[in-house]
Amino acid sequence: MLLLGKLGLGFLGTALVTGAIVSSEGFIHVKVHEKQTNGTHISLVVPAMIVPVTLKFVPNRYLAQGGTELRRYLPVIDAAISGLADCSDGPLVDVTDPDEHVSVVKSGGSIVVDVDDPNETVHVSVPLHATRSAIDEIAYAGGPI
Amino acid sequence: MKTILPVLAVLCLGTVALAAPERYLHVKVDDPVGREHVRVNIPLSLAEKVIPAINQGQLRNGKVEVGNFHANGVDLKMLFEAVKAAPDGEFVTVQEPDTNVRVAKSNGKMIVHVIDKNGSEKVDVTIPWEVAQALATAGDQQLNVEAAIQALEKAGDTTLVTVTDNHQTIRVWIDSRNTGD
Repeated sequence: MLLLGKLGLGFLGTALVTGAIVSSEGFIHVKVHEKQTNGTHISLVVPAMIVPVTLKFVPNRYLAQGGTELRRYLPVIDAAISGLADCSDGPLVDVTDPDEHVSVVKSGGSIVVDVDDPNETVHVSVPLHATRSAIDEIAYAGGPI
Repeated sequence: MKTILPVLAVLCLGTVALAAPERYLHVKVDDPVGREHVRVNIPLSLAEKVIPAINQGQLRNGKVEVGNFHANGVDLKMLFEAVKAAPDGEFVTVQEPDTNVRVAKSNGKMIVHVIDKNGSEKVDVTIPWEVAQALATAGDQQLNVEAAIQALEKAGDTTLVTVTDNHQTIRVWIDSRNTGD
């Protein structure tokens, strides 16, 4: 009985640590709602850490060209992500026209993009830290920097 | 314990008071005819980090090349100092059949006012002197954008550009609010 208790505690501890590691970089939230009848409704919440880890398993040949292109802009992207991470939360861009509303907001270490048009509403929330890791992963795929 | 708490409270308050508020560059475009509205709020700290990282086209290392601009040996820094010390007033007035241009100095700011009579367009540019001086620190044929942003961070709340025509109004300004309205 004591052994079972110890095993249970071990599993619980491992699960807790794994959960903490997986959620350490926050979560990517994608929500798409098509407005027409029988339209698609998707709501996806994925631990952000999965993206750079998944990219490690993508063969380099698929990422090499994008990585080479991306590398030219890496200093700007790094500066932008670092600057965004350091600045306070708030709306960055808001565009309204008769058909569409687009907003980009920095909220709690994430960039949140909302689009509302006559066909669909889209909500994407991406943690900045995960974005940086994913971009670095793609850029390195093009060869050593 | 009784003495530590007030000291800690004073230290916390002091830290809050000393922390400079984030400064924002706002762009607001309103087109009532097309019912289009654009709001952009850029933290100046973000611009300060991104601008020096851009090395593309005429913008390199926080400085932008101005192709046809030649200082021809004129010390722009000294020139700005002299204009800064000069009393407020109008420096340049150009009146043409279709355009009026006015350059003036008022309350420590350089003001450029352009009226295009054909397109009924009005442009007002207000640049704090410190920002104008910072722009000129890059030397011949260059404007120091990075230094200008740093100077903007220290400048007070001010409207930098307004453009008004028949269809839309554009306003660019800086303040410490993270929303444009």
